[in-house]
Amino acid sequence: MNLIVFPVILYLLSAFLIALIWKEDEKLSGIACLSFSILVFISVILLGKYVFLNERIIYFVGNWQIPIGITLMVDALSYIFLVVVNFVLPVICWFSNSYMRKYTKPGYFYILFSLISAGLNGILISMDFFNIYVFLEISSIASYILVAFGLRTEELEASLKYTMIGFIGSTLILIGIGLILGKTGTLNISDFMSAILNINKIQLLFILGLFISGFALKTALFPFHFWLPDAHSLAPSPVSAILSGLFIKVTGFYMLVRIITNIFIIFPESKIIIMALGLISMIFGSLMAIDQIDIKRTYAYSSISQIGYCALALGIGGYYGYLGAILHFIYHSFSKSLLFLNSGAIEYRYKTTKIEELKGLSDKMPYTTATGSIGMLSISGIPPFGCFWSKIIIIIAAIKSFYYGIAFICVIVSVITLGYFLKLKRNIFDSKGEGEKFEEVNFNLLMPMVILSILIFFGGLILLPEVKIYLDKAVGVMQNFSYIQIGER
Amino acid sequence: MNKGMSEIVKTISKIVVPFIIIFGISVIFYGHLTPGGGFPGGVIISASFVLLLLAYGREKVLSKLSLYKSDILHDIGAIMFLSVSLIGFAGGVFFLNIFNKGKLFSLWSGGNLLFSNIAIGLKVGTSLFLGITLLSMARIIHKENKIEFYEKEEDIK
Amino acid sequence: MIVYIFIAFMFFIGIYGMMAKKNIIKMIIGMNIIGYAVNLFFIVLGYKSGGIQPILVPGMDIKEFVERAVNPLPQALVLTSIVIDLSIICFLAALSIRIYEKYGTFDLEKIRRLKG
Repeated sequence: MNLIVFPVILYLLSAFLIALIWKEDEKLSGIACLSFSILVFISVILLGKYVFLNERIIYFVGNWQIPIGITLMVDALSYIFLVVVNFVLPVICWFSNSYMRKYTKPGYFYILFSLISAGLNGILISMDFFNIYVFLEISSIASYILVAFGLRTEELEASLKYTMIGFIGSTLILIGIGLILGKTGTLNISDFMSAILNINKIQLLFILGLFISGFALKTALFPFHFWLPDAHSLAPSPVSAILSGLFIKVTGFYMLVRIITNIFIIFPESKIIIMALGLISMIFGSLMAIDQIDIKRTYAYSSISQIGYCALALGIGGYYGYLGAILHFIYHSFSKSLLFLNSGAIEYRYKTTKIEELKGLSDKMPYTTATGSIGMLSISGIPPFGCFWSKIIIIIAAIKSFYYGIAFICVIVSVITLGYFLKLKRNIFDSKGEGEKFEEVNFNLLMPMVILSILIFFGGLILLPEVKIYLDKAVGVMQNFSYIQIGER
Repeated sequence: MNKGMSEIVKTISKIVVPFIIIFGISVIFYGHLTPGGGFPGGVIISASFVLLLLAYGREKVLSKLSLYKSDILHDIGAIMFLSVSLIGFAGGVFFLNIFNKGKLFSLWSGGNLLFSNIAIGLKVGTSLFLGITLLSMARIIHKENKIEFYEKEEDIK
Repeated sequence: MIVYIFIAFMFFIGIYGMMAKKNIIKMIIGMNIIGYAVNLFFIVLGYKSGGIQPILVPGMDIKEFVERAVNPLPQALVLTSIVIDLSIICFLAALSIRIYEKYGTFDLEKIRRLKG
């Protein structure tokens, strides 16, 4: 039971120890960070036995009971997010062990990496509004600094804009938390749900609006997507992989799921807002991605489009909608991280990411081509790769709720996604280039990509009945659970 | 060129700074009884060092508390805070307060609040001092639009 | 009630500073003012009219203390929030020095090399 605090403690310990001892040494700091990440993954797997035995774990920090103390909770939904996040983080850390050699002071990178990881894990386990805000800020500030890590000209400007817009989002969330404190006098989520009946409905709607705006700004849904193309395309590649594959999901999508399905359940109209925002960002992201000249910018716009899919599935609701949202989160994390690591491997050899300057890589870098193609085909929705299953479940959910127009738009956006990824694949990988030298990247950069692509390739196996039972429990949490049940024991 | 400020400012700050540091330490140590605690106490201690920095010039202050020492001190503060929270595991729960609480209103009546406050005060004080000193070391050379970091005043032409 | 109107006024001054000024340093000061307004809002939430400070002096009656004391929980939250805002401002100050080195200006309209 005490294993619940280990993800946060181990990552914080790794950040402080690397800062004290190994900051100047590049090899030892990388190995230390990688070993702490693997330890956290092992502890999360050991935690699974307790979670699925008693349906959820509740932990009182310092033995202070509910209205007074901080409580931590892991249930089936948080557990799936924990497993996916803590699996992708060691893979990215392994990739960055050899990628970050080219930057000055790679020791500082591992400190900030550990801080982002500690913040993401902290959001997933806490049950207290202010605790969520503190961990959100820890990981956000670390990500603002990491985007500007290379100190080239464009990265500084991207980081400036990202910081300012992220600050506004965090301030909106903080004002919402302040209003909750003023109206009910407590910050614990289950206590808040017991006291929610005494508040005027219009004031509650205002708080819900502040929360949705703040978290939609962190997720980059439609009106709040401005910062994403600059920040994600100009950051160093492992940082883009963390930001686009994990950060916008945990700080944005997971919090929206909690708010709409577990906390503010007396407003079912909020699902329609999320559905509308998801629909528009889906169309907008894929249309803007068609004409880009830089690989990473295409991937960044495609992130906006795919997170629109997740939000759309969340808004539709029902069993299939929720299942599609969780599955799309899992497979898009794997695929987008794989694609950004891939572009990092290409940049390691060729020092550029513009499409015109890269031609004919399939002769020179066969393994990179293969993993990159798997990632691109997966996001477009080609069977048997991972995202095909999630997209088809989302389309089934739309048809079952009689939203035929939305199902049609899903299919069209999927075809447009296939279009621009095939354009990328044709221009970079398949055309003829000059020089016949075999210039594959080294083993440490290849194995992380191979691991992720194997997981995507066997993606359909998650729908086998033995594994699907865990997903069903997570969907059950989204449908039936509300935090008020914790206070009633 | 003149380092620091005039003689009057130097003399007064030489007298006042020990009192500021002792006041800051008292705010940290009695954080469980009087308002304050780790954060404000740390800010007060770092403010006293910044006063010395303004009055005497950067070299003198860096010879007393070099950047390397404050770097190590602020990491030790962070590790101390984490180990205070881990000691609670001996009682079974994370962050449990297992120290002997003496009688009311004494120094030990907070349990592990005392050690948390000291750790946070150390960390906040040294890292604010580091930040302000590093920002003051940058000189912008106008002709070439470049930035250089200088430790000694004689290197600037 | 008047205090909340003043806090909203300060918040809007901060937003004006962030949106209408072109110099980066003035935008950073606007962000600072927004942070101050939100922190002040938190503290004022816990106020009780005719309240005393929430410090227990030896020899005080506990029941009367609980009834009359101002709520100390928002004050603890504000400490954390001040430190978070401080670290963002410190990072932005260092970043703007680097931007001056590369672009040669603090004007936001000239820092626009990214398109699309």
